[in-house]
Order: sequence, then C-alpha cells, then structure tokens
Amino acid sequence: MVFWILIALLTGAATLSVLVPLSRSRRGQEAAPARADEAVYREQLAAIDKELERGLIDTEAAEAARTEIARRLLAAHDRGDATKQGGPRTGRLKLAQGLALLALPVLAFGLYILLGSPGLPDQPLLSRLNAPAEEQSVDLLVARVERHLTENPEDGQGWAVIAPVYMSLGQPKASAKAYSNAIRILGPRQTWLTDMGEAQTIANQGLVTAEARAAFEQAVALEPSAVKPRFFLALALGQEGRKEEAIAAWQALLQGADENAAWVGAARQEMARLTGEVPGSDTLRGPSQEEVAAASEMAAEDRQAMISNMVAGLAERLSTEGGSAEEWNRLIRAYMVLGKKQDAEQALTAALSAYADKPEDLSMIKDAASKLGLSDG
Amino acid sequence: MIVEFGHYALVLAFALTLVQSVLPIWGALQKDDRLMAVAPPVSVMLFVLVLLSFMVLTGAYLSSDFSVLNVVENSHSAKPLLYKFTGVWGNHEGSMLLWVLILVFFGALVGIFGGNLPADLRAVTLSVQAWVSAGFILFLLATSNPFTRILNPPLEGADLNPILQDIGLAIHPPLLYVGYVGFSITFSFAVAALILGRIDAAWARWVRPWTLLAWCFLTLGIAMGSYWAYYELGWGGWWFWDPVENASFMPWLAGTALLHSAIVMEKREALKVWTVLLAIFTFSLSLLGTFLVRSGVLTSVHAFATDPARGVFILALLCVFIGGSLSLFAWRASMLKQGGLFAPISREGGLVLNNLFLTAACAAVFVGTLYPLVLDAVTGEKISVGAPFFNLTFGPLMVPLLMAIPFGPVLSWKRADLGAACQRLYAAFGLALLLTLVTYWAWGMEKVLAPLGVGLAVWVMAGAMSEIVTRVKFFEIGFKRGFSRLVGLPGSAWGTAIAHFGIGLTVLGIVTASAFQDERVLTMRPGDTVELAGYQMTFEGAAPRRGPNYTEEVGHFSIRRGGAVVAELDPSKRIYTARQMPTTEAGIYTTGFSQVYLSLGEGRGDGAVDVRVYYKPLITLIWIGCVIMSLGAVFSIADRRLRVGAPKPARKRQQSMAAAE
Amino acid sequence: MTRKQRRLTLIGSAGAVLAVALTLILIALRSEIVFFQSPTEITQNGVAPGQRIRLGGLVEEGSVVRSDNAHVRFRVTDTANTVAVTYKGILPDLFREGQGVVTEGVVGSDGVFVADSVLAKHDENYIPKEVAEALKAQGHWQGEEGSTN
Repeated sequence: MVFWILIALLTGAATLSVLVPLSRSRRGQEAAPARADEAVYREQLAAIDKELERGLIDTEAAEAARTEIARRLLAAHDRGDATKQGGPRTGRLKLAQGLALLALPVLAFGLYILLGSPGLPDQPLLSRLNAPAEEQSVDLLVARVERHLTENPEDGQGWAVIAPVYMSLGQPKASAKAYSNAIRILGPRQTWLTDMGEAQTIANQGLVTAEARAAFEQAVALEPSAVKPRFFLALALGQEGRKEEAIAAWQALLQGADENAAWVGAARQEMARLTGEVPGSDTLRGPSQEEVAAASEMAAEDRQAMISNMVAGLAERLSTEGGSAEEWNRLIRAYMVLGKKQDAEQALTAALSAYADKPEDLSMIKDAASKLGLSDG
Repeated sequence: MIVEFGHYALVLAFALTLVQSVLPIWGALQKDDRLMAVAPPVSVMLFVLVLLSFMVLTGAYLSSDFSVLNVVENSHSAKPLLYKFTGVWGNHEGSMLLWVLILVFFGALVGIFGGNLPADLRAVTLSVQAWVSAGFILFLLATSNPFTRILNPPLEGADLNPILQDIGLAIHPPLLYVGYVGFSITFSFAVAALILGRIDAAWARWVRPWTLLAWCFLTLGIAMGSYWAYYELGWGGWWFWDPVENASFMPWLAGTALLHSAIVMEKREALKVWTVLLAIFTFSLSLLGTFLVRSGVLTSVHAFATDPARGVFILALLCVFIGGSLSLFAWRASMLKQGGLFAPISREGGLVLNNLFLTAACAAVFVGTLYPLVLDAVTGEKISVGAPFFNLTFGPLMVPLLMAIPFGPVLSWKRADLGAACQRLYAAFGLALLLTLVTYWAWGMEKVLAPLGVGLAVWVMAGAMSEIVTRVKFFEIGFKRGFSRLVGLPGSAWGTAIAHFGIGLTVLGIVTASAFQDERVLTMRPGDTVELAGYQMTFEGAAPRRGPNYTEEVGHFSIRRGGAVVAELDPSKRIYTARQMPTTEAGIYTTGFSQVYLSLGEGRGDGAVDVRVYYKPLITLIWIGCVIMSLGAVFSIADRRLRVGAPKPARKRQQSMAAAE
Repeated sequence: MTRKQRRLTLIGSAGAVLAVALTLILIALRSEIVFFQSPTEITQNGVAPGQRIRLGGLVEEGSVVRSDNAHVRFRVTDTANTVAVTYKGILPDLFREGQGVVTEGVVGSDGVFVADSVLAKHDENYIPKEVAEALKAQGHWQGEEGSTN
C-alpha cells in the first residue's frame, strides 16, 4: 500500500511540474528573454570600447566593428517586435492540461505494470541473512554462517557449529574441513576428531583413510573409553584385511557394552562376518552414495553398520535378483578393496556362471578380474 | 519496494519526456508563453526522476540486493564498498542509465541557468533534448532494463570484471560521459536554432559555455581513461588507438573544432552554417561512439548479427537523430544569410585553418576506426588498423596545426598583418629554437625528429604565454600597472592562453615519453639488480597477499639512485577469486614529471619473475597538460561576459535601453 | 582582394588540406594496415618475408617454453595447422595454453613467426573475433561469442 501511495505522489509531482507553469500567467516576464539577444550585442559594443581603450585595436577597426554589431542589434530589435504575436489560447491550454492530467499517469502506470514487478519486495543480502532463523532456508543459514566465517576465519566455535550442518547437507568434505579448522583453532577434542574422521570416511565411500585413521587414533588417545572412534578403528582393521586384529578390536569394544546400544548389532554382524560364522545378514543393505546424506542423520553406530555392510547388500541383491555385468564387477572390486579375496573369488565364479552364455559380458568380467589380480579359475 | 519505486521513476521519466517533447516546441511555434514555460520545471523534474532511479539502483548495489538481475550479474557481497558503488556503471545497463542521467542533467542545467536565453530558443532546445532522452530511456526500458528482477535470488553475485575494480573506473566513465553526452545540449541548441530559424552571433554566445563545459569534461575523461589504461593494463602504453578510445577521441576533435568556429560566429557572424553542422556532427560522433561500444560490433560484427536487439535499437536511434538533424540542416541551411567577410590572413582565417586540420584529423581517425569494421562486414576480410596508420595520418595533420596555434590569438580580426604577428612571437620562436638545439646537443643526432618535437611543444607553450605578455604590455608600462592589467584580462583570453599552454605540455610529454624512454625486459631472481636511466632496481623477493576479493603475488623492489633508496615498489599479479581472472598491477615511482614503471610477468616457479621496467621521462606531462587544458575551459566559462543577457531588474534595463536608443 | 578571391582562397586552402588528408589516409591504408591470417592461411599461401601480419589462433597445449629474460616460444594453432612463434616481453594476463591469442609481427627466414606484440583482451570470455572466425572456418568452434564490458 505504501508503495502505491509513493507512486501516486511521484506521479502527482510530475503532473504538477507540467500543470503549474501552464496555469500561471507569464505576461509580466515575457519581455526580458525576448530582449536577450539585444543584451548580448550591447555587451559586445561595450567590449569594443574597452579594447579600444586598452589599445588592442585601432580606431578604424573599432569603428568597423561597431557598425557591424549595431546592424545586428537593430535586426534583433526588429525581430523582437515581430515575435509579439499569438498568445495563449484556451483550447490549446485545455489540450496541454489534459495531456498532463490523463496521458502522463495512464502511460506511466500502464508501462510500469507491463515492465515492473510491483509485488516483489527488496531483498538486500544483509536483511535476508538477518531474518529470523525459522524463516530462512538451510542454504541461507549456511550462507550466513559462511559469511561470518569468511570475515572471522579464526572463530573456532563457528566452524564447530557449521561442521555437522555440512554433514547433514551431504557435504562430508566441507564438514571435515570445518572440523579441522575448529580443531586447529580451539585444540583437539575427542568428538570433533571422531566426527572429522567420520566425515573423511564418508567422503571416501566408507573407506577409512589413513588421514581419518590418524584422527580416530588421536581421539582414542584423548579418551580411551570413547566407543565411536574405536568402532571406526576396528572397521579400519577389517578393511585393511588384518582380520585377527579386527576381531580382537571388536571383541574389546563389545565387552561390557550396553546391549541396547544401536551400534552393538552392527558390531556383532561385522565381527560375525569377519569370523565367517554368518555371511552378510539379509536384513542389511549397504548405503548407496545417495544414502550417505540420510545416513548422517541416524545414530553414528547405525550408519556405520550400513556402510560396512554396503557390499553385503549388493551381493545379496545380485545373488537373488541378478544384475548387470557392471554390477558384478563392482562387487568384485569392492571385495578386493575390503581385502576379502575369498569372497571376491566366489563372486567372480558366480558372475562367470551367470553370464556363461553372453561372451561379450563374460570377457568384460574376465578383463576386470585379471586387472584386479584374480584368476577366473 | 524501493527497487520497484526506482523502476517506476524511470518509467514515469519516459512518459514525462514525451510531454516535454511536445508541449514546449508546440508553444514556441504557436508563440504561446504558457506552453513554453512548461519546459524549465519539467526539465528539472526529469532530472529528479532519473536521479531517483539511479540512486535506487545504487542502493541495490550497496545492499547486495540479488533480487535485481543486474546486481547479480555484476556485483559480489565481498566486493569493497567503493566498487559496489562504481560497479553501478561498470556494466551495460548501469552505464546507459548514467548516460541518460547526464542527458537529463544537462537539460535541467539549461532549465535552471538558461534564464538569459530567449524563451522560444530555450523551450525548443529542451524539447529536442527531451527527444534524445525519450529515445534513450526507451532503449533502456526495452532492451537493457537495469531493474529486471528475479524471483528466487541467489546468495552470491558474479562479481564485477576485475579490470574494472579500480579507482580509475570510479572517475573515468562519469567524466567521459559528462563530456560525451554534454555535447547533446549543443546538438539540441543547433536543432532548435534550425527549427526557429535564428542562427546568429547571439546564438553562438549562448551555446559557448555549454560547449566549453562538455569539452572540459571530455578532455578530463579522456586523460583519465588514458592514465587508467597506462597503469592498469601493465603494458606501459598510454594510448592504443583502440576503437573504444577513438570513439571518445572523435567527439573531442570535432568538439574542439566547434569551440573555435563558434568564436568566429560569435564575433563576426561568419561560419554560421559550418558551426551548426559541427554541433550536429560532434554529438553524432558521440552517438556513434555509444553505438560502437554498446552494440558489440567491436567484439564481432557477427555478434551484432546474432543478438541484434540492442545494436539495432541504437543504430535506429543513430539514424533517426543524425539523419533527422542533417535533413533539417539541408532544408534550413539555405536560408542563412551570408556572414561577415574576412581576409585569409586574419583571426577568422586562422580559426578556419584550425577547423580544417581538426576535421581532417577527425576524418582520418574515423576512417581508421570504421574501415576494418566495414571491410569485415562487406568482404569478410580481416585487417587491423593500428598505431602505424594513425601515426602516418593523424600525426602529419597535427604538426601544421600545432605550428599555427601561437599565431591564432595574435592575429587581429578581419584583416591581419602577418609581419606584426610574427614580431610578437619572436621571443617564443627563439626559445623553441634554443631548446631544440639544446636537445640535439644532449642527445646527438641519433634521434632526428624528437628534438624538433620538443621545439614544437616549446613553441606552442611559449607562444601561448607571449600572447598574455603582449596583451598586458609588461615591458612598456612596467610591472605594477602590468599586473593590474593581467588581472583585468577577460577570462576568455586567459582561457585561450592556458588551454594552448596545456596542449604544448601534452605534446612535450608525448614526444619525450615516446622518444627518450628506456625499457628493459628481463628475468630477475631475488637479489638481482637492474640499472636503468641511472636508477638501480633490486628485486627483493615475492610474497603472496590476500585482498578482500582477490589474492595476489607481490614482488618487492627497492629503487636506488646513487646508493640511496628512493622508493619501494610493489607491483603484483592478482587473481580475482569470483571470476578466477588475473590482472596486473604496475608499480610506479614518480620523480618530478618522470616515472619509473615496473610490471610483473608470469612467475617462473623458482622464485624468478619476468619483469618489465620502463623509465618514462616527463610522461606525466601528457595528463597534466590535459588537466591544464580543461582548466583553460574553466577560465573561459567563468568569463563574466558569457552571462550577459540574464534578466536584470526592470529599472536598470529600461535605463540601458534608453541609453542605447 | 575581392570577395570572390577571398572565397577562392578559402575553398582552395580547404581543398588542399583535405587533399593532403585524403592522400595520407590512402597511403596509410595501403602500407600501414595489417592483415589477419590464420596458421592455415600462412602455411598454404606463404608470407613474404618482412611483411607484417597478424597471426591468430589458439595457443597449442604444452607448447609454451619460457626461457630467461622473458623470451617465450609457443605455437599457434587453428587445429589444422600450427605456426611456431617467438616473443620477447611480458605476456598479457590472459595468455594461457589452449586459449585464443592474436600476435603481430613478421615471419622470419626460418619460418618462425617473430612477434612484437601479443594481444589478449580485457575479458576472460573474450576470444579475439578473428580467432573465433578462423576456428569456425575449421569447424572447431561452437561457443558463444565473447562479450566485453
């Protein structure tokens, strides 16, 4: 509403700038401008006198110049008399007033409705960032914190706040970086180190990298009883193929654990798979790349189970429903990466029998296997 | 809401220009005072409206309102405040809005300060100005609307082209535009004069301050742009004969010619047809420049063909205004009466000569700028017209003009005695000859032309001063009375002398900086020293540095002369983060009027960098000369005689009229 | 002097100045303009030694060799043919491998192009128009036209 009032005021001002001079009688003032050119020539005459006085021109030249200017002055005077005809006529005035009163606002409004976006409010960045949090999208909130952090890169608490948000947005790399900043500035803390390691692990498709491993180890050093980093370390041992050590680690972890804790089930399954008692449980499926984001909202322990059993899920699906040659390849590669050579060989055999009648796919699987150092025997 | 308010103000301004286009001129033709009286207040209102919308756009930039498309495309929240501000006109839409703002600004100036003009001339002039304004506001609204909104604003903008993130951009385009667009008002005066059929000495007097004002700003704008390119591009060059530069230089040449021919028209009522034609040409060249820069033909003739909306629109405006005014000229010029007579050797003759050379030079620049474009469009053949072309054409045309400059002011009107004029210039000539010989003696015959160039520059400067000295007659009447005469000299005489002196300074700078410069290109490792023109420059090492929206690699150099450190220079290579675009920041040490110029090339990885070092003697005179030229224009505008004709109190007027009759 | 003589003097001097200007322009258009050529045109038609030309194309990937005192060697390609170029000086900010470039200079007796200027424009999107068109001629260019602000 304020907007429309402002617009009306502006239009009113523009209309008045036309109407006011139209309605005012100018009779008293018209003479002056009509004589403007005469004033110029008169001044030129005066200038000649001055130049003569200074000796800049001689008398003869001055006289010639005077005649010339006087001629112009007379001509201007005559013309000034000649222009004094015509004058205001009411018909013309009415038309002009109509133009200002009607055409001007109509044209301006019409054109604006055509071109403008009257309802759209201003959105300066600062007020968008400072709006109450519940009105803001997550993106905006993140942008707000990011802005704060580019201005105050040494605010460790800020980094600690934004790190889990990145995690929930499915940006584990950014999350890991934020944790590492927080740690750099405020010193190491067990939870930050663990979460950083977790973020790095997720960023690497569930593989515990050396970097992540170092973080977990540091976390355990800070707080030997912490469960989560030890969980990941056990997982890392398993991934590296150090089976015995992994089992020992899982056992140590499960000792005296609260049986109701969510991670316990996952740990047991992992251990069971390592010891070979129960092959990958049918209730579990590994997280796909898209599920990583969702996973971070679950308890860390549950998520870990999903990650570690990703491969099992794939194997399950392939053995019951079958799959493309590429999927088989992926499974075999995953087993090899996880250090489960036996499982890989089994999968290869299964794949070869599934594609026995398709030579093209068969050779592709064989190629891939030989690259991984497996024989198709 | 505020953004939309600014948008509406612009739309309303367009509607109001249409009213202004019709009522005052109609009033003038019907001799209706009331309709004519509409022009001044509406011209001010137009300025207020466009200023409002310009301020609103500026506000959107300052507050990083990314719901405005133009802001998204050209700004970034991390950009320093100054560049948020200058970024408003660092893009097509914003710069066109500035164009229009200056257009209506000049209209408002005539509306406010035009009290000394006859009512009909003022009314028609403002109507014509409104035609031009209407055309350009329509162009803005139809093809380049700066207020286009987006519904889902992004969180960050694309940033301003880094090369434009410089203090130079803050000053250069507004100055240039005030000059460029300022000639619109002389154009409007010329068209109004043709319509009303009043082209006389008084007209020339009235137009003179407006021409001077536009010329003054154009001179400053060109100089600023040249200095900006000099330190920002890192090539050490100050003029590239680039089409964009030529686009502003052509109106300058034509405007300079106009300035001089208008004097003849004012004093002798001669050269009327020519002066009016020049006024039309000058603004036409401004329009042409706008077309070249804004339509994209310079980037590619074919870009113009693929996205024709803008280009075709400006081309249409160009055709309407140039074609229309020339047709009007052809129709009305024949009724002009023959003006005053003069002998070939006279002040008038000198000014005609000035006009001939300036327009010929302007034509040479015109051909050099447009020939490649036309050839490409017609035959597809690609050529480049660079400095050699202009040196061969523009240069030889300037030399006789420069030689003639000192004669102009000392010749008398109508018929002059060349011998007497020469007598007054003996001293200046002697000084020029002396300095030429000194330069030959200092530099030997190795550079044949350069000392002659120095002599020419000194001739122009000394000639300009001797004009003042002879007018004051210091030697005849003694210092004390001479001084009072000096102060009493009219502003226009001072203006002439100062502007001509400035030209001489600029020429001196150009000659010395081009002929006597020293240049070295080399690879330097930390600790290396290079010697150039008596300065030892040591590369102390390079270090990275972070700016608000860029990172840079800064080379640190210390400059020594005779063992003592005289300056530390930090040239750098910058990378602007948002666009990942590199720029070069030169390090410049100014000593007297000369400069040491250092710019960095690509780093070599092992700590070594490629370095370009220049010593440019007296180079700052190029720009100082330009500033002095515009100072001359200021003196000339301040001449009280230009204000003659303003309405005086009634009683006084009657007295003076009685005295005249 | 009579009125007629005066007018003749005026017109005569105007004509003389314009004639001089025209002559200068024509001479300059003959001798001082530089033709743009692509590597293919140079390879196929050859260039008279000493004739100034503008050579434009893309800087071939991996071809830039820098040596001391800002000597640079690189090759300019239009994807069909390449021409070797040497240059001494600081390269413009936007000179990069794989990007468009325009160089001006002469072809030496050994067939190597000796450039005395290397150009790139104010804008990172800018491809010199001659280069874009030469590449189009080779059928290797689909991009938008660059724009400069």
